[in-house]
Amino acid sequence: MGRPRAFDEDEAVRAAVVLFGGRAYDGVSVDDLVSHLGVHRNSLYKTFGSKRGLYLTALRRHLADDVRPLLDTLAGASDAAAALRLITSADLGLLLLAAVERAPVDEEVAVEVKAALAAVDQAIADALGVSADLATALTAAALGIILRGNPDDAATALVRGLGSLTR
Amino acid sequence: MALIRIEGDNLVVVIEGLDKFWALKGSLTVPLAHVRGATVDPGIAGEPKGIRAPGSHLPGVIIAGTFHQDGERVFWDVKDPSKALVIELADEQYARLVLQVDDPRATVDLIESALTGRR
Repeated sequence: MGRPRAFDEDEAVRAAVVLFGGRAYDGVSVDDLVSHLGVHRNSLYKTFGSKRGLYLTALRRHLADDVRPLLDTLAGASDAAAALRLITSADLGLLLLAAVERAPVDEEVAVEVKAALAAVDQAIADALGVSADLATALTAAALGIILRGNPDDAATALVRGLGSLTR
Repeated sequence: MALIRIEGDNLVVVIEGLDKFWALKGSLTVPLAHVRGATVDPGIAGEPKGIRAPGSHLPGVIIAGTFHQDGERVFWDVKDPSKALVIELADEQYARLVLQVDDPRATVDLIESALTGRR
């Protein structure tokens, strides 16, 4: 039974990444999803089960499309300054919102966010040859810099202050 | 209006008061394994609902009973669309339940957290 899905699921999920990344989970209604994704309400429920089901799919898509490539470029970072620059210039909108808004109240989101950030830490540790803790601190600083509106001087000052710690 | 609770491995929906009469149904029990998710959706009442049989549809007053659309059966019990909740099912008589509950957000949290433990 049921009609064939009359929409491009791939495109719809990508549009959901943009929507959730821009307006947060609670800021997006099913009406918003229906009008922005080009999906009928019934198809949306049939395909994703719920708004939360779509959100999880979108988050995983964001991690695969936007965070995964960051890990690859981080592998080539020559120093802390380069690593910070790569993170602060990446599109991490949905990841950051997920960490703040959904991870504290949604176990499955928390698992995804934790794994993604751990992977960034690991990429930095491997590329710069620093300890896992220092890599975590660098990731945390980079995310903080994004949240502060990406002031250039902050990253520069941090790297200068780190000095010999990171070659 | 519907009351929703989790009883063991089941989701139990109790239709309250006169709605029972309009919807021709007093309660529904669905195994959690057949519940795909729950969503707050005040906008759904404005959508085409398909063909009603059996039940009642007095536009602007109550949408209650079984509706058929695109080969799917959807159960409705909504008077106040601002409190509408959608529960998507799998392998059940109904593809979807559209219910009015007192606190849609709390009900979604209740259902989704019961599901998270199982997946």
